[in-house]
Amino acid sequence: MEGAVICFGLFITGTILQLTVGSVNTILFQFPVNLIFAGIYWVCMLIMHLNKKRSAIIRWLSGMEASLTAIGAFLLMVLIMGLNRQTPVQSDIHPDGIVADIGFSQLTSSWSFLLIFLYMVTILLLTTLRKGLKFKIANIGFLLNHIGLSVVLWGAILGSGDMQRLHMVAQTGNPEWRASDTMGKISELPLAIQLEQFTIDEYPPKVMVIDNFTGVSLPNGKPEVLSMENDSLNGKLLDWQLTGSKYLPRAAWIQGRYISYQNEGATAALYVKAKNLKSGAKKEGWVSYGSFMFPHQALELDNGKSLVMPPCEPKRFASTVTVFTKEGKSIPATIEVNKPLKVNGWKIYLLGYDESRGRWSKTCTFELVKDPWLPVVYTGIVLMLAGAFHLFLFTKTRRKKI
Amino acid sequence: MTWDYFGWIVLASSLCWTAGALIAWKETSRPLAVGITASGILLFFLFIIGLWISLERPPLRTLGETRLWYSFFLPLVGLITYIRWNYRWILSFSTLMAIVFCVINLLKPEIHNKTLMPALQSPWFAPHVIVYMFAYAVLGAAFLVALYLLWKQKSKSTAIKYMELSDNLVYVGIAFLTIGMLFGAIWAKEAWGHYWSWDPKETWAAATWLGYLLYIHLRKHQPESHTAALGIVIFAFVLLQICWFGINYLPAAQGSSIHVYNM
Repeated sequence: MEGAVICFGLFITGTILQLTVGSVNTILFQFPVNLIFAGIYWVCMLIMHLNKKRSAIIRWLSGMEASLTAIGAFLLMVLIMGLNRQTPVQSDIHPDGIVADIGFSQLTSSWSFLLIFLYMVTILLLTTLRKGLKFKIANIGFLLNHIGLSVVLWGAILGSGDMQRLHMVAQTGNPEWRASDTMGKISELPLAIQLEQFTIDEYPPKVMVIDNFTGVSLPNGKPEVLSMENDSLNGKLLDWQLTGSKYLPRAAWIQGRYISYQNEGATAALYVKAKNLKSGAKKEGWVSYGSFMFPHQALELDNGKSLVMPPCEPKRFASTVTVFTKEGKSIPATIEVNKPLKVNGWKIYLLGYDESRGRWSKTCTFELVKDPWLPVVYTGIVLMLAGAFHLFLFTKTRRKKI
Repeated sequence: MTWDYFGWIVLASSLCWTAGALIAWKETSRPLAVGITASGILLFFLFIIGLWISLERPPLRTLGETRLWYSFFLPLVGLITYIRWNYRWILSFSTLMAIVFCVINLLKPEIHNKTLMPALQSPWFAPHVIVYMFAYAVLGAAFLVALYLLWKQKSKSTAIKYMELSDNLVYVGIAFLTIGMLFGAIWAKEAWGHYWSWDPKETWAAATWLGYLLYIHLRKHQPESHTAALGIVIFAFVLLQICWFGINYLPAAQGSSIHVYNM
C-alpha cells in the first residue's frame, strides 16, 4: 500500500515537473557530472543501508513490498510507452495535446518515467546491499541477478549522458572529418573516413506478373514470384510457362536490346520466352528492373497483364573504406551491416547509401558511436547471463505424482 | 525438404504426440510415452533442419517460421516437464497447443523464400530467436497450468504442489527470456549501434519480462495468495503475445519498429 502511494506521488511530482520545466535533458549529465551524481548517490545509499536498524523506512525500502510496487509501477510506465506512439527526441514532429504535455509521447525523457525508474534502481540497490554485504553461498543466484541488473542499469544511466552517436556522410576519393549529432550540430572528429567502394551483393533476380493498370502484383493479395536458380529461369507462373533464354547479370539497354556492360549504371536483364498453358499464346522479350541510367523493361503478356522483374533483394551491403586518424595512421577496412569497425574507442556502422544510385552509390552514411560505459554494461550482462543459467539449472525440482 | 511436406510431417508428429499424451494420461507405460513423444519431436526437428538446408538460411525470419519453432518446443518442454516432474496431464496440454500452432501454419503459411536481409545475417540471429521461442513455449506451459488451476478448485495441498510447478516453469521461462533479451542486446549493439533503443518490440519484451518478475517477487512475498499470482501469469502471457505478434496489429507500433522482417 505504502509502495503504491510512493509511486503515485512520484508520478504526480514527475508530471508537475514535466508541465513546468519540460522534458529531461541528458546533455547536462555528461562526465564528470554523471560520475559525481552517481558517487554522491552511492554514498547516500551506503549510509542509508548502514542505518537501516534505526529506520523502519530504510528497512521497508529494501523489502519485498517495495520491490513489488517498484516493478509494478515501472511495468505500468513501460505499458504506457508500448500503448502510446513514441516520437523520437530528435524528430521535427512535436505532438501536442494533454498526452504529449505530460510526457507520454517521449516517455524515456519524461520526469515521471525518470523518477519511477530511479525509485526502482534505488530499491534494487538497497536490496542488493542488504543481501550482498552478508554473503552466503545460498544467495549466489540472487546476487548474480540483482548485481548484474544493477550494473547494467548504472552503465546505461552513466552512458546516457556520455554516449555520442554521430552521422558522417563519406564520399569516394575524399576523406571526411566532420560528423553531425542528432541535433544537427557539426563537429570535427579525431578520425576521418574515405569511401573506397560500396557494393551490394544481391539475391538472384525473380519475375512476377502485374496488372498494367493498377500495378498490383498477381494473384491479388497473394502475389506469386518465380526466382532464377543457377542463372536460369524455368517454371510456371499463373497460367504461363516461362523459360529464360539469355541472362545478362550486368547489362545496358542500347538501341532496343540489352548487351553485356560492366560499367556504372549496369542493370540485370533476362530474355524470357512465355507460353500460355491455356490459350497456347506465345510471347517473348526482355525484362529488367533498370537502374538510375536505364529504364525498367516489362514483357506484355495479355489481358492487361505484364511480366516484370522487381529489383533484386539485397544479400550484403559492404563498404570498403580507409580510416585516417589524427596520429597519421591509415587503416583499410570493410564495414558491413552487422559488422561494425572499431577504431580508437569508436564503433563505425554502415547506416545508408545513395539509394537513387543503388550499388553504384558514391556516398555512404556511417554512424559513429562512442559509449565509454559499454564495458560496464557488458560486465552486468555477463553477470545476468550467469544468473539466468543459475536460475535455470538450480530450479527446485520435485518428483511427486499428482 | 520443402514446405510442401509440412502437412504430412504435422500429421505424423501430432499422431505421435497424441499417442504419447494418451499413454502418459492412462499411466500405461512411462518409457513408452516418453519414447513415442520424443520420436514425434525428432521427426518435427528433422523437418526444421531439412527446411533450413533447402532455404539455405535459418528458418526463423517470418512469423510463420517462429511458429514452427514454437510447435517444436512446446512438446519438448512438455516432455522435459513430464520427465522431470512427472505430471501425467502435461503432454496432453503441450500436444494440443502444438497442434493449434501447426494448424495456424497450415492455414496461413507465410512466403518461405530464401532471402535473408543483411540485418539478420549475424551469428546472434539463431540463438536470439531460438532461445526466445523456447522461453515462449515454457511460459505457454505456465499459462496452461495457471488456467487449469484458476478453473478447477483444488484441495490446499494439491494447489501448493501445482503452484510449485508454476514457479518452476516461470523460473525456467524467465531464465530463457533473460538470455534471449541479453543476446538481443549484444546483437543490437553490433547491428544498430545501441544495446537498447525502446523499439516497440523491445518495449513489449521489457513489459513481458517485468510481468514475470512481478510474479516471482509476489510469490516470495505472499506465497499463499495463489489467485493474484496466477492472474499475473495470465496477464504476463498476454504481454508476451503482444510482444511476439500483437505489435504487428497495435496502432502505436505501426511503422515504428525495426523488428519487422515479414515480406
